[in-house]
Amino acid sequence: MYGEIGNKLVQHAKRTQSLAHLPPYQTEMVRAVAREARDLDKDVATILEPFAGSFNPSAEPATACALLVNHLCMRRNKRCLLAYHRVRTDKLEEMCWSGIDVLERQQQQSNKAGEGVASMGPDSNSSSLSPEEEEYVRQYSDLLAAYKGQWTDIDLTGSLEPPKDLFIDVRVLKDAGEIQTEYGAITLTKNSQFYVRQGDVERLIAQGYLQRLS
Amino acid sequence: MDIDDLLAEVAIDSTPRETRDLQELTRCWVAERVAPEILQWPGETMDRVLERVRRQIELVEDQTGNMDPKTNFKLIVIQTELERFKFLVRSFLRARLKKIDTHPLHILNQHNASLASPRPLLSPSEHQYLTSHQALLSSHYSASFLSQFPASLQRLDDTTGGISMVDKPDEDRAVFVRCLRDVGEVWVEGTDRRFEMKRGDVWVVRWSAVRGWVGSGDCELI
Repeated sequence: MYGEIGNKLVQHAKRTQSLAHLPPYQTEMVRAVAREARDLDKDVATILEPFAGSFNPSAEPATACALLVNHLCMRRNKRCLLAYHRVRTDKLEEMCWSGIDVLERQQQQSNKAGEGVASMGPDSNSSSLSPEEEEYVRQYSDLLAAYKGQWTDIDLTGSLEPPKDLFIDVRVLKDAGEIQTEYGAITLTKNSQFYVRQGDVERLIAQGYLQRLS
Repeated sequence: MDIDDLLAEVAIDSTPRETRDLQELTRCWVAERVAPEILQWPGETMDRVLERVRRQIELVEDQTGNMDPKTNFKLIVIQTELERFKFLVRSFLRARLKKIDTHPLHILNQHNASLASPRPLLSPSEHQYLTSHQALLSSHYSASFLSQFPASLQRLDDTTGGISMVDKPDEDRAVFVRCLRDVGEVWVEGTDRRFEMKRGDVWVVRWSAVRGWVGSGDCELI
């Protein structure tokens, strides 16, 4: 039926919104929906052909109705595709903002999948992003970095929680090496605890090296 | 003008610029976070605030290493204040960016319309972000699927069929406002509600009904 695959895509997008990770890109479905739109366009052209540009909707209500349905379905397919892609790009942007290196993570995942289950066929080690999306992420990170560069004093990607204390207690979850603070260098070894300035360690908390103790 | 207004003016002049800027920034921040639409870019206030943040950071960098306990304590106070300022600016900018990302084309149109006025809607860097982000998105869409569509359907700002593709924020959303000056009678469009807004009143109204007064500073969003 017209628009059925589009509907599936939207349901997919809806599900994606509540997931923590990004499910694989539905290349097949996207192609099918685009194909459907193209076929509909061809249908419209064939229906209109015998009229040679002088089609009068009120004289042929049945044909007019068919045309309308075709047009609406094409628009709907476009909307579905836009919605699907928008949800995914939003998700990717969110990851860029929170400092996750999406591409690197993708690579790790695909490597793991490739090592673990080699028998699952060629699909198992493909990335869950489409090539276009990977390109988009790359360009968006550049854009974000450029925009952030104008606000170096503010640190745009910093915490959106209002600051209460200048210093906080943190516990080290993973070895992070030595960091420089204005009170000297601190070596962050696993399982140790520090009382440090929040601004100095914010990035490390976001990257999962440190845990904030309340 | 009555005695209250006179008193208010005296009070404003006696508070230092810094305090007023902080108030202004806080007000902008609150307003930006609750208003459904993006508000005007407070260019002058932001310039002053950023300049001061920069100076304070320099001061802190200068003074660190000074082991005198007295300056050390002073530095902690300054740094705490700095962090708060940075949070305000950051949160303010992020709130604006979020709106820009949600309704890019609508805001772009609004911004272009406001270019003639002395105070444009977006700051230059926001405008740049918006256009490049939009360019990225549309090239992504067309690479992913739009290029396979019939040519008549490839536009992203199509208005055929009476439905515009450009999404708009909900201007009729309810907001809380506090009146800073007597506004007089307010009339909510599309309904027969009329009411009088007096100084100090707090109302829950549609954004579209009070937008003008918030812009002119007669009301503030809370």
